[in-house]
Amino acid sequence: MGRLLLRRLVATIPVLLLVTAGVFALIHLTPGDPIDAMMAESVDDTVKRELRRDLGLDRPLYLQYATWMGRLLQGDLGRSIRNREPVIENVGRRIKPSLQLAGLAMGIALLVATPIGILSAARRNSAVDRVGTSFALFGICMPNFLIALILIFVFGVKLRWLPISGYVDPLEEPLDGLRSLTLPAITLGLALAAVITRTLRSSMLEALSEDYIRTARAKGLSDGAVVRRHALKNALIPVVTVIGLQLGTLIGGAVITEYVFALPGVGRLVVDAVFARDYPLVQGVVLLIAVGFILSNLVVDLLYGWIDPRIRHR
Amino acid sequence: MAAIRSGSTPQAVSRRRFLHAALVSGPLAPAALLAPRGVRHAWAQEAPKKGGTLRVGFYIEAATMDPHLSGSKIDRQVYHNIYEPLVVLDANLGVKPGLAESWQQPDAKTLVFKLRRGVKFHDGTDFNAEAVKFNFNRMKTEPKSVRKGEVASIDTVDVVDPYTVRLNLKRPDAALLATLTDRAGMMVSPKTAQERGAELERNAKGAGTGPFVFVEWVKDDHLLIRRNDAYWNKQGGPYLEQVRYRPIPDDTVKLQSLQAGEIQVMDYVQPRDVAAVKADKNVVVVDVPSLADFAYQLNHTKPPFDIKALRQAVAYSLDLEQIVKGVWLNVGVPANGPIPPTSWAYDRSIPFIKRDLAKARAKLAEGGKPGGFTFTMTTNNIPINVQEAEVMQAQLAEAGITMKIKLVDAGTLISDGNARNFEMISFQWSGRPDPDGNTYQFFHTTPGTSLNWSGISNPQMDALLDKSREISSQAERKKLFSQLTRLLQDELPMVFIVHPIEPKAFSPRVQNYDPIPDGMMRFKDVWLK
Repeated sequence: MGRLLLRRLVATIPVLLLVTAGVFALIHLTPGDPIDAMMAESVDDTVKRELRRDLGLDRPLYLQYATWMGRLLQGDLGRSIRNREPVIENVGRRIKPSLQLAGLAMGIALLVATPIGILSAARRNSAVDRVGTSFALFGICMPNFLIALILIFVFGVKLRWLPISGYVDPLEEPLDGLRSLTLPAITLGLALAAVITRTLRSSMLEALSEDYIRTARAKGLSDGAVVRRHALKNALIPVVTVIGLQLGTLIGGAVITEYVFALPGVGRLVVDAVFARDYPLVQGVVLLIAVGFILSNLVVDLLYGWIDPRIRHR
Repeated sequence: MAAIRSGSTPQAVSRRRFLHAALVSGPLAPAALLAPRGVRHAWAQEAPKKGGTLRVGFYIEAATMDPHLSGSKIDRQVYHNIYEPLVVLDANLGVKPGLAESWQQPDAKTLVFKLRRGVKFHDGTDFNAEAVKFNFNRMKTEPKSVRKGEVASIDTVDVVDPYTVRLNLKRPDAALLATLTDRAGMMVSPKTAQERGAELERNAKGAGTGPFVFVEWVKDDHLLIRRNDAYWNKQGGPYLEQVRYRPIPDDTVKLQSLQAGEIQVMDYVQPRDVAAVKADKNVVVVDVPSLADFAYQLNHTKPPFDIKALRQAVAYSLDLEQIVKGVWLNVGVPANGPIPPTSWAYDRSIPFIKRDLAKARAKLAEGGKPGGFTFTMTTNNIPINVQEAEVMQAQLAEAGITMKIKLVDAGTLISDGNARNFEMISFQWSGRPDPDGNTYQFFHTTPGTSLNWSGISNPQMDALLDKSREISSQAERKKLFSQLTRLLQDELPMVFIVHPIEPKAFSPRVQNYDPIPDGMMRFKDVWLK
């Protein structure tokens, strides 16, 4: 296990290097620059020139990249150009709502998807399966923003049960915090539940058609025991893969949900930073999201080993 | 010697004056009158009640609390409640006493302010001539100051006595006074600015003199200000206990938040929502005529628009009335030039360019393209801009002109504009209270005036613009701006489309909001029913 972990960690180094070069090149090659974006209505070219010089934006790109990498190796992600605060502080403020939202959405998704996925597979072609499959299709087809607006209209405007937008930290005010995250978590959770349901159903169906299931049934095990102890465990690998990938996406990519519900998350931070051409912020956040992705995949890899010992010894 | 303004306290705009402003502004009148509820609302006659928290939804969060470093429009919405400028705007864009109770102009290059006595910054220090000097010096010398361009005409600042300050100008600048009604005239406490340094950007406690004091700014969440009980002006408010600003980026959600009572004020209603919101009894809409000028710059430095006749062909092909009606849903008026109907310099006798396809075809022939031509228009990728582009595309096609549409984000738009990397480009200017701010930097030949994207260089235009800065008589300046508007309609560095209205929406509980055409929401006299 230790060697697997070490091997995986070493493998992340070139990936991270590629990410730094890629994000640096992409954002710097995008037309526009932070000073123009920040001072759209100012006509004073001297001020703009001075600011560009102060920020080092007048230097060649390779030098700017080298400076950034140099600071990065010392653990310094730089400062945002727009609000002049350290990138790490910006991300620090935004990561908590993103993690809480991702966790809650994942919880909702698993709560919904696990029973539906298992039942659909165990009672294939039954009414339960048809309802489950339709739900999954609906969840995948519905765009996030539409689900969000429908939920807001019903639960926020008409029934007034839940707040429409904004964020309260559940760690400080548990009830209000959960209320503020409920609609966005359902919005994200529904789509996620749909993906997990489909994956779980198909891998369960595959597992249920294996010989060892027939053997298990032949030796007189109950349906429940067959599904739980034999089929489910073997069907989990693709499901865990999907969950791992989705969790990474949830943390940095819930842009639309964060935007609609005015949640101060990482996704919105990076999009706003791109529009403001806030180079250090975009670079820093994308890098951190990449690290998050790599870590969540690492956890998935380790889970494989736990679920299937054969992988551990390979 | 120019006229001396007497020093009364800034007054609220009465309903009659607001209606008058709307009526005299000509084409604006029908749209302004569409909002009788909003106007009546601003005129509520009940006795004001103290207390309550006003919750305001903005599309984006503020960027900084330091007015000298601010480059973002949204910051000003907060500033106008915690800071105060030397002079303030009224509903007709007249300049009235603010922290300065009067001013004199002994000659074109000198401006003397008599300051109001008994005003204290929120940190307890006195507001006086030394503070004014400190502020102008800070704007001029602070490396990150964004105000340098606005105060560039000020050479030195002399403290004549503790409550008199003299600005010595490098050149006559008739627009300076109006510029000082906003961030460039806002006074920050020298003590707080010096002690707090860069931290002032995040924490403006003690820094202003305004009717509200800064309490806290929880980044990405809310910004809170509280009533200043020691406010110098004892007439009227402040009544509200607190004002809480929150960013809600999605327009639809912001509107729903207002309808559900989560917020009581929203800064802007999209034209597409205006009709629906006006029909909602739980929302009051106030149409605020703006200073804005939405237009398209035409690149004079390269084909096809280096040929005047082709620029004119485009202008004659466009039907502004149809665009304003169909795209802007009448939340605005067709533009005859860069100066909005809210301005004293607006000339109602100059009509906007009417569509005339026969003339357009004649101009095409004159420009050597009798069969039409093709060009690319660059615009922002936001729904209303895209709709406008599509309508223009269809209108131009009827004259035989093919317009390709290039959609970009705001950053790219500005970069393309500054680099003159366009043939025709959208330009949406929020406007300035003095007509100089809507004209000089766009049409004058000066290297470094980076908003002259069209590259126009016309000696007659330069002379008019220079002269408009030198003379201080408003009547004389108005004549110059009328001449300029006519010249612009002929030379066409821009095709002017619309002067939009900026509707704001309120809960019916919000009372006594006075709309000023700069769109800034000053909550001093506002109270909650």
